[in-house]
Parts: sequence; structure tokens; C-alpha cells
Amino acid sequence: MLKKFALAVSLSAFAAGAADAADVVVSSKIDTEGTLLGNVIVLALNANGIKTQDRVALGTTPVLRKAITAGEIDIYPEYTGNAGFFFNKADDPAWKNLQQGYDLAKKLDYDANKIVWLTPSPANNTWALAVRNDVAGPNNLKTMSDFGKWVASGGAAKLVASAEFINSAGALPAFQTTYGFTLKPDQEIVLSGGDTAATIKAAADQTNGANTAMVYGTDGAIQAAELTVLEDDKNVQQVYAPTAIIREEVLKANPKIEEVLAPIFKSLSADELRKLNGKIQVDGEPAKSVAEGYLKEKGFLK
Amino acid sequence: MEETLAVRKLDRLGVVLVTAGVVATALLPFIYVKANRIAAGKPMLLTQLLNQPSAIILTILLIVTALAVLFLHNALLRLVIATLCFAALLATIGLAAAVFTPPNSNAARMTPGGGFWLLFAVIGLIISDALVKIRLTPWMRIAALAAYTGLLGIFLTSGLLDNLSIMKEFATRSAQFWTEALAHLLLAFGSLATAIVIGLPLGILCFWVPKLRAAVLQGLSLIQTIPSLALFGILMLPLGYLATHVPAAASIGIRGIGAAPALIALILYSLLPIVANTVVGLQGVDPSVRDAAAGMGLTRRQILTGIDLPLAFPVILTGIRIVLVQAIGLVTVAALIGGGGFGIFIFQGLGQTAMDLVLLGAVPTVFFAFSSAVILDAVIDSIRGSAA
Repeated sequence: MLKKFALAVSLSAFAAGAADAADVVVSSKIDTEGTLLGNVIVLALNANGIKTQDRVALGTTPVLRKAITAGEIDIYPEYTGNAGFFFNKADDPAWKNLQQGYDLAKKLDYDANKIVWLTPSPANNTWALAVRNDVAGPNNLKTMSDFGKWVASGGAAKLVASAEFINSAGALPAFQTTYGFTLKPDQEIVLSGGDTAATIKAAADQTNGANTAMVYGTDGAIQAAELTVLEDDKNVQQVYAPTAIIREEVLKANPKIEEVLAPIFKSLSADELRKLNGKIQVDGEPAKSVAEGYLKEKGFLK
Repeated sequence: MEETLAVRKLDRLGVVLVTAGVVATALLPFIYVKANRIAAGKPMLLTQLLNQPSAIILTILLIVTALAVLFLHNALLRLVIATLCFAALLATIGLAAAVFTPPNSNAARMTPGGGFWLLFAVIGLIISDALVKIRLTPWMRIAALAAYTGLLGIFLTSGLLDNLSIMKEFATRSAQFWTEALAHLLLAFGSLATAIVIGLPLGILCFWVPKLRAAVLQGLSLIQTIPSLALFGILMLPLGYLATHVPAAASIGIRGIGAAPALIALILYSLLPIVANTVVGLQGVDPSVRDAAAGMGLTRRQILTGIDLPLAFPVILTGIRIVLVQAIGLVTVAALIGGGGFGIFIFQGLGQTAMDLVLLGAVPTVFFAFSSAVILDAVIDSIRGSAA
């Protein structure tokens, strides 16, 4: 009796993961923006007569890559800059430009895995610095160049960032060289982990005098924390543009997917993504209703 | 003499609990009033809430409970008073949250503070101490667990606690909560059942063949030392390979990610307690009983099923209890590889620094683990009791 029960339970647990062949399996990473974009894809495809299976918020990036290359999921939102790490080409200068990086990612993934990168969003979810509004306003800080000039002329910046950001050659040192400023050690608060929610909170609460935070460009908590993201006007950082990537055979079976998703992703600017992420992270609204609200507001959903 | 010792021991526990309760009320915040999910929040002590009738009733009941714990010897009366205090605690946090929530705000969050949790733990300990003193039979213990779960259920469904941050998180994702609850239970019980099916015969084999015992137990101990996330990762490769190259495997649901690697890893972790406890349980059977049975002409298999296993059952069941509690906890890690379960809420909450969402995943997990432990312990005691 116990054996039959065990068999039944384990089979049903396995079967829970089995996908229906006809439906498009939509997945995403487990973070806020991933869950939002995954739900956007599900709702957009459903509204246009394409049946989907919802496997949004599946896990971390390695899990998603494994899943799509193995054919277990069909489509999920990825970032152009990440392709550098998938294919061991992280140092290529093409990643610093949105279009060049996108073209390179598209070529690499298609050649290697027959995965098609659809239309990217113009947003850049990369490392950035964000200053408190009450510091950015009076000092007219809008871009990293402004920030560089302000710090070099004695501006009282205090940065809270992760150890990786402060030490990694491509991060703070690159910013400092390009924009001509140097932060003294007493102007830096170093956190061990890369959790931008912690750095944003520190700048918002002015913990230990922090007024500048390391952030990701489209973090949801930025607006609520009253911070301004400084534009990387000299393109120091690699561009991470959110893009839906799909297995070629699924795209061939449902060619409408590209034309359905293209205008939606084009409309998702950094400001829009920040606003939507903020609704999920700060206001606690569920990702599905935030996605639905956005699609209805822009007219993609009736 | 014995009575004085018993009284002194109780008083010491009582003093510790009462001190903890006083510290909680006086120093730790009872509730945090937050403007939104990630804001810092204004801490409020219970003493600052005393303009509310529920807080006044709670304070009076806390004082009465403290006096009962220190001076009252009748365990049943202590139980009743502590239960009333428990109900008052839940009512107060719910009503305080309702009072401080701004009228049309969807974003504001009221989070229970350290003071509330410490009082919750202290009153819970007083209740369980009283239950132990009453010396309930095992089935009455399960009935008591059911009664308190029912009390909690009444508070949750009455809507009294709906303004708490954890309930607001639940409200925005209630359908997903129940789906993940089912996935969590299926993974935990599924792995337990399969581990019993594999581990019990393996344990019996190890008992009959002493040379095998050391090798098997050492091998399983080695597996126990592998960190859970690492084992999930290691299993992803062979299972993914299997899924792509063996169509039969893919059709029954074996994948590199999701439930399959989680289930297999959980089964591997569950084998050591079951095999080890089976061997120990069988070793604990009095050899003279076995001799007598052999003398009566029973075959080895008849001795096993008729004598060894029934007598070893309490020890084997203890191993099963260890495995179940462990599995319920480990399933939370499976969320990172797509396995589902309450871990999804924990990791999403960590990524969004929304501690309330983390609690939405953690509290049910703790509750399930605690209930399984209580139920299985009661079953073990009842078998031991009837065997004796």
C-alpha cells in the first residue's frame, strides 16, 4: 500500500513539471523585473490568441539558460549584456553600445543554440550611481559627467556600494577614470553583498551620511527612496537591455510572437520600468496586475 | 521533598519566561508602522498603544498570566489563562494594525515587531509547558494541536488580522500561495515516501549483512555533508542529459530543473536517517525473542515481519519524523531551481527586501514542520505505550 502511495505521489510530482507540447512555455527569472516582464509576455500572447503555459519566476539566470537550451521552456526575458558571460566574450567593447551588443548577442545565441533574440527594450538595467534628490537638485546633477565635475571640485559625495562594485576594474574605477573624479576611502561605505535594495535603503535613510547609492538602472525602489539615477553619458558600463529570447522552432510555429511583443518592448523605457518595478516592490502589488495595468494603459490589451 | 524540587524547577522556568515577557513589552517594539513595503517604519511599543481597549485587556491578561505562571500550581487553570492571553495577543496586533493603517492607503504596511514575536513565543511556551504538566495521552496531544490550529484559523479567517503586512502579502497572491503549499507538501511527502520504500529494505539488508553496513552508512553520511544547493546543481547536469537523450525519461517528467532534481536530492538526504534508524531499531530487538521465534520454526522472513519490524517500529518512526521535518525545511531551497514550494516567497522577498514576503514563506514552513513533529511524536509515543 505504501509502495503504491509512494509511486503515485512521486509520479504526480514529476508530472507537475511536464509541459503540454502545443502551448508556449513562458518563463522568467525570479527577480522583480523578471517576474514583471514574464507576466507581460504571458498576457500579451494570451490576448493575441497564442496559448501559453505560465512558468514565470522559475529561478536564477543559470537555471533559465539551462532550461531554454534544453528545450524545457520556450521564451523568457534576458539581458543583452549577459550574453557576454554566456559565451565568454565579456571584454568585447560591443557590449557598451545597445545596438552593437544586441546584434552580437543575437548572432552568438542563434549560431550556438538556435535561440532568437526578439526586439529589445531601450532601457539599460546596468550598474549606475544614484544621488539623493536633495543633493542632485541644488547641484544640477543629471549625468555622470556632472557628478564627476561636482566631486572633483569638492562635492560632499558619500557612496554606499558593494565591494565588487568598488574594486571591479569595469565598475567604479572605470567611472572614476572616464569622468575625472576620485572618491577618498572615507567617502565610500562598502557592503559585502551586491544587494541594491540595501544600498538604496542606506542612501534613503542617510545611514552613516550616505547620499549616493550603487543601483541597477531600473530598480523599483529608486523613486520611493527619492534618488536620481545619473546617466552614463560616456557609456562606461555595458548595456543590459531587457529582450525576450525564444527558441527558433517555437517562433517558427508561432511567427506572430515577434510582432506582438516588438511594440510592447519598445515602449518599456527605463522610466516606465522603474515605475512598474516600484509598484511591485514598494507598493506590493502583484506582478500580474501591474503588467495588466500597464498593457491596458498603453492600449496593448483591451 | 520531590514536590518542593518540582515547584522550584517550575518557578525557575516561570521566572525566565516572565522576565522575557517583561523585556519584550517594555523594550522591544510591538508593531512597526511603515509607509510602504520597503520603508523603515516607526516602531511602537505596547506601552504606547495603551489608549486602545484591546491593548489594555492584553496588558491585564499578561499580568494575570505572569502571576499564574509564578504562583499557580494547577496546570489546567494556567492553560486556560495562557490561552486567553494568546487570543488577546492576536486580537491586539490585528486591531492595532487596523487602527494605524491610513484609510485609503494600499501601500502602508503594519509589521509585528520583536516584542510581539517574543510574547508569542513566551505564551506558546507557557501553553506547551502547561500541556506537558497535564500529561495528555498522545492522541489528546494531537487533539490539542488541532484545537490551537483551529483557534489560529478562526483569527485568520475572521479578517481580524487582515491589516497585518504578512496578510496583505497573502492577499495579493493567495492563489499562488495555495499552489505552492500543495507543491511543497507533495515534494516533502513524496520524497519521504520514496525514501522509505528505498531505505527500509536497504536498512534491513544492512542489518543482515554486517559487512555492508559500514560502507552504506559511510556513503550516506558523505552525501549528507554535501550542501543542498550544491547537490541540486550537481543533479541538474545528468538529469538534463537524461531528459534530452532518453525520450522515455522526458515523458514521465524528468527534467534538469524543477521537481525532479529536487525530489532526487531530497530522497538522497532522507536515506541516512531511515537506514541508520532501521539498523539501530532492528539491533535493539532482544536477541532472545528472535531465538525463541527461530526455535518455534519461523522462517527468517516471518521473524522479520512478525517480530523484528513491529518491535523496531518506534525507532524507525523516529527516523521518519527526522526526515519529514528536514524535508519540509529543505524544500524551501528547491525554489531556486524551479521546484516550487514556499521557498519562492522567501527568495522573492529577499530580492525585493520585503521581509513580510519572506515571512509569508517562512511561517507556514515552520508551522508544517512543527505540526509534523508533534503528530509523529504522538504516534511514536502511542505505539511505545501500547507496546509496553
